[in-house]
Order: sequence, then C-alpha cells, then structure tokens
Amino acid sequence: MSGDASLDLRLPIGGLFSVLGLVIGAYGIATNGSPIYETSLSININLWWGLVMLIVGLIMLAMGMRATRRHHPSAPVTAAESPMGRETERREHATGLER
Amino acid sequence: MDIVRQAHLAPIDYVVMAVYFAAVLAVGWLLRRLMRTSTDFFLSGRSLPPWVTGLAFISANLGAQEVLGMGASGAKYGIATSHFYWVGAIPAMVFVGLFMMPFYYGSRARSVPEYLKLRFDEKTRTLNAVSFAVMTVFSSGISMYALGKLLNLLLGWSFDASIFVSAIIVLAYILLGGLTSAIYNEVLQFFLIVFGFLPLVFLGLVAVGGWSGLSAQLSQLSTARGFPADAYTHAWRTMGSASQNPVGVEWFGLVMGLGFVLSFGYWCTDFLVVQRAMAAESMTAARRTPLIAALPKMFFPFLVILPGMIALVIGGSHGIGQGLIPAKLTAAGTPLLDGSGHTVLDYDLATPMLLMRLFPTGMLGLGLTALLASFMSGMAGNVTAFNTVWTYDIYQAHIRKGASDAHYLWMGRAATVAGIVLAIAAAYVASAFNNIMDMLQLVFAFVNAPLFATFFLGMFWRRTTGHGAFTGLLCGTLGAAIHHGLTLPAGASVGIKGGYLGVIHTYPSELAQTFWTAITAWTTCTVITILVSIVTRPRPDDELRGLVYALTPRPRDTERKFWQRPMTLGMTVLVMTFLLNFVFF
Repeated sequence: MSGDASLDLRLPIGGLFSVLGLVIGAYGIATNGSPIYETSLSININLWWGLVMLIVGLIMLAMGMRATRRHHPSAPVTAAESPMGRETERREHATGLER
Repeated sequence: MDIVRQAHLAPIDYVVMAVYFAAVLAVGWLLRRLMRTSTDFFLSGRSLPPWVTGLAFISANLGAQEVLGMGASGAKYGIATSHFYWVGAIPAMVFVGLFMMPFYYGSRARSVPEYLKLRFDEKTRTLNAVSFAVMTVFSSGISMYALGKLLNLLLGWSFDASIFVSAIIVLAYILLGGLTSAIYNEVLQFFLIVFGFLPLVFLGLVAVGGWSGLSAQLSQLSTARGFPADAYTHAWRTMGSASQNPVGVEWFGLVMGLGFVLSFGYWCTDFLVVQRAMAAESMTAARRTPLIAALPKMFFPFLVILPGMIALVIGGSHGIGQGLIPAKLTAAGTPLLDGSGHTVLDYDLATPMLLMRLFPTGMLGLGLTALLASFMSGMAGNVTAFNTVWTYDIYQAHIRKGASDAHYLWMGRAATVAGIVLAIAAAYVASAFNNIMDMLQLVFAFVNAPLFATFFLGMFWRRTTGHGAFTGLLCGTLGAAIHHGLTLPAGASVGIKGGYLGVIHTYPSELAQTFWTAITAWTTCTVITILVSIVTRPRPDDELRGLVYALTPRPRDTERKFWQRPMTLGMTVLVMTFLLNFVFF
C-alpha cells in the first residue's frame, strides 16, 4: 500500500454527488411550488433528483471509506509498487528504452 | 429570425458547474504525488482495478460529439440508431477483451503503435503513430469547436471563453495526475453524464405519454415521411431494403460495414480506448476492462438516443422545424430547403433543446454540466493518448533514444501542453474553414478503415510480415479513397461527398456509402497484406512469442470465481445484447 498517496475513486465521486445532491435538493425545497416547475411537468425534479444524488453519493462515500479503513481501497499506486508496473519498467531498462 | 431561444442561467446553475470544476481539479491535485515515473504518467503505473478502467473505457469514447451526435441520429433515424451500439460496438468490445487483449497487455507494449513495432517493424509503427497523433489533435479540436458554438448559441457565452476555460481545466488535471487523473475523472464524468441525462429521459417519456405514446406519434411521422409505420421504433424490421428505413442502408452493409469493419477497427485498434485497458493492474483486469464497459454501454441507447426521438415529437416549440428541432437557416435567415423542397432540420440541437425545454433552473445547471463533462472526458481521452504516442512512439523512437526516465516524464507533460494548444488551434481553423475539417475527417476515415485487417492478420496469422502489413495499410487507405471517389450518395453533388473520379454507383444514403467504403478498404488491405506476406520473408517464431495467437499460451482465468472470468462475462454481455435486439426487433 502506498499509504497517504493513494485515493479510492469512490471517495471523490461520493463527495461530488453528496454536495450536488445537497445543493440541488436544498434549492428544490426553497423553490417548492414555484412556477419554474411548469417546464418539468409540475414535478419538483430538483428536490427528487437532488435526493437521489445525495443517497447515491453517501453510499459511494461509505463504501470508499470502509475500504480505505480496511486498507483495501481500489486505488492506484505508483509503478514501483505494482507488480505489472515494475515488470514494465524492468522491460524498459532491459531493452535500453531509457539510459 | 431568432429560431433558438437562449436560456438564462440562475446563480444556482453556476454553483453546480463550479462544484464539478472543483471536483475534477481536486482529483488531479490529490493524485499528483503518484506521478513519479513515465510509467506512472502514461500507464497509471499499471495499477488500476478493472471497474475503474472499464468505466473510463466507455467514458473516453463518450465525448460531446457522441452525446449530441447520437441524439441527432436518434431524431434522424429513430431507434435504428441503436445499431451503433448493439451491432457497432458490443461485439467488437467482447472480441477485444477475450481475444486481443492477451497480446496488447501480454506483450508489455506501452501503446498500440508499439505493439505494431514488436509484431512487425518500425515503419508500420510510425505510420500508425503519426496518423493517430494527428487524428487525436484534430478530433479534439473539432469537438472543441462544436462545444464553443453550441454554448454560444444556447447560452450566449463567448466562444473563446468556453474553449479556453474547458481546455485549461483539462490541461491542469492531466498535468497534475497524468493518465490516472484522466481516468479517474472519466469515471466521475461517466456518472455525471448518466445522472444528468436519466432525469431528462424520464421527464421526456412522461411528457410524450411513455414508450407507447412515443411510438404512436413516431409512426404518424414515419408514414408522413414515406416509410413503413414502424420504421422509427423498430431496429431491424425495416432493414430488409435500404429504401424502407430512414437510415438508408440494407442489413448486409450494416452488419459488414458498421458491425464488422468500422466497429472492430475502432474498438479493437484505437489507442484512445485500448490505453485504458493497458493501465489495468493485471491481465485478467485488462481483459475484463472492455467487457465491464460493455455492460453499461448496451443501455446507452436509452440515455442518448431517446432524447433525440422525444425531441422530434414533443410539443412546446415556437419556431419552424419539427417538434423541438429547429430548421437550419440560410445566410439570409430563411429556413434552408433541400432538393425536394423540405425544410432541413438542425438535428444536432435535438438533445440540447430538450434539455432546455424540460429542465428547470437547478437541473438545467446539472444537464449543462453533464454536457461539459462529456466534452472534457472526450478531450482528456484524446490528449492522454496523444502525449503517450508522441513520447513513446515518435520522440523516443526517432528523436531521442535512451534518455533518462525523468526526461520522458518531462516530455509527456510538454506534449500535454502542446497537444492542447494544437487542439485549440484546430478549433479555430475549424471555425474559419469548415470544409477543411470535413475533408480531414474523410481522410481519417480512409486511414482507419483498413486498420482492423492489419491487426487481425498480425495477431492470428503468424506468416504476416512487416512489409505485408505496411503495404496492406497503404493500399487499404488508397482503396477507400478510390471507392469514395467513384461513388456518390443519392441527392449529393460531386465533391466532398464523393464522385471526384467519376460516378459509377449511387448509394441510397451517405451512411451506406461510408459502410461500403470501409468494406472496400478492409478487403483491399486483407488481400494485399496476404499477397505481400507470402512473397516476403517471415520473422522466426522465436521473435513472435506472446505476439501471435499460435505462439502464445492461452491466458488462464481459473483463479477467479466463475462469474468474474472474462469468458463468462463476455458471453453474458452477448446474450443480453441479443435480447435487446430481439425486444426492439
């Protein structure tokens, strides 16, 4: 594990959707009943879709944090730390592709 | 005449966009410490899990041109546009995962052109690398131009500002985190596109009375346009003859041209997508990459094609056109008419117009952000493929061999900046001379069409030689150009559309001509490669281990659970695709 440098992808995705869900959902609550929803067939799509995004975001965050805490994040490491990366670099040296 | 009503964004819409921009930049920033060597920068250190590379595999392909273009085709051709997915993508994705990835990944090649160098020779690699590098720069330039023009039309944003802001954001996150950052953001963008377009399809279907309402209205439209009533809502039923369906293609040209030559040529040989699989952590992960990608890909028609079909019949428009789709205007501002006096529609606006029609403030910001995300993922895909091919296959191979790894890492960053600057320049060239871009795209089509023949023969026939591959590629491209020069789609005039060598055949539509051009190129390349290979000296078997099918041990996947094995996954994908074709037959 490369420790602090690695980043489970579910964390930024979860973060993004949680924030988007909060922002759009809150806007939906604030504008409930407003004439802007005439375009969306009188459905307060901001509120409902904001909620969906918030839930999805929180699930992603939870999965990412759980994996990180258990030190099994599906996260990238440097080539020096991954078996295939090491092999690729070894081949580069062996075939004289660099120095 | 003002045919498109501009939308006015509220502060909340800008907040949504700003949150997205902050997220992609943060990803680049958090990954910056992982970029230590050129292998980290160009191949993500070969350490990514398959679900990440798999979603990036389709997202890199899901540029703005795909999202807008598939909506446009949905409006033009109806559900038959799904052939671009169910025939023109899935089978090729399964093939590359099961049968070709063992050679790409197993050979330790760092790029697709480098595989050609290992399998054939330096000249075949260079031919492929140079044409690919030029192509990536111009295609991101063309899509940048399309985006700038669209945002200007819909929102009144400045063309220059739209281009520069999005280019600088993409530049920043690739410089910071290399391919890993591009791939991470592609997955993020994938989710954003899905979450931006799902509610659009939902609201659209509710507005037109569900699938049955949509079918009923489309069948009226279909009859009015002189096709059978089910031509827009069934993918295969009217494919028997070219005159019975809006695509203007018969089933054989469709299956061979699109389903075999064009689709396998793109999905199996294009480094833009294959690079994502090469970044995977293991052979099994690399093989599963395109298969995992195929699972969401088969449902994309509902996400990107349906909006176009809905835009065709939904009410609420205020101008001349059909449904929400406005007419194209002449320079004088009157609607453009075709040869038979019908109004020509600006189909590319189908999806954006539906977005503006159905989304209120708030969701509109999300929808536009999804559009921006698709543009950025396409552009980042092009740029990361460009910097890798430039550095490994052109710079390291011909300009400076044997420099230190730090030097190539630096060159990769420099090539990222240069690639983006060149793409911006191409966008301005496109806005000044539209015809040059049409011509370039035509040339690219000629160059790409024969590619699959070369890779297929190279991987599965060990007798294929470097001279054979090189000559075959050149002749295939030439064959495509000659075929295009001798034919013309119905209703077109001689020139960029073909016929410049004299018209000996007229195709019912432009797509039919494209498909048959590809078939010609592929056949020419196959025949010439075989003939030249027979008369030239093959490489000894020892040098071809791991590069051709007969001399490579079959990859073993027994260590995985059976449902995780590439073969199981591939078969599942094929059965599901077959069922989808059946449902929409």
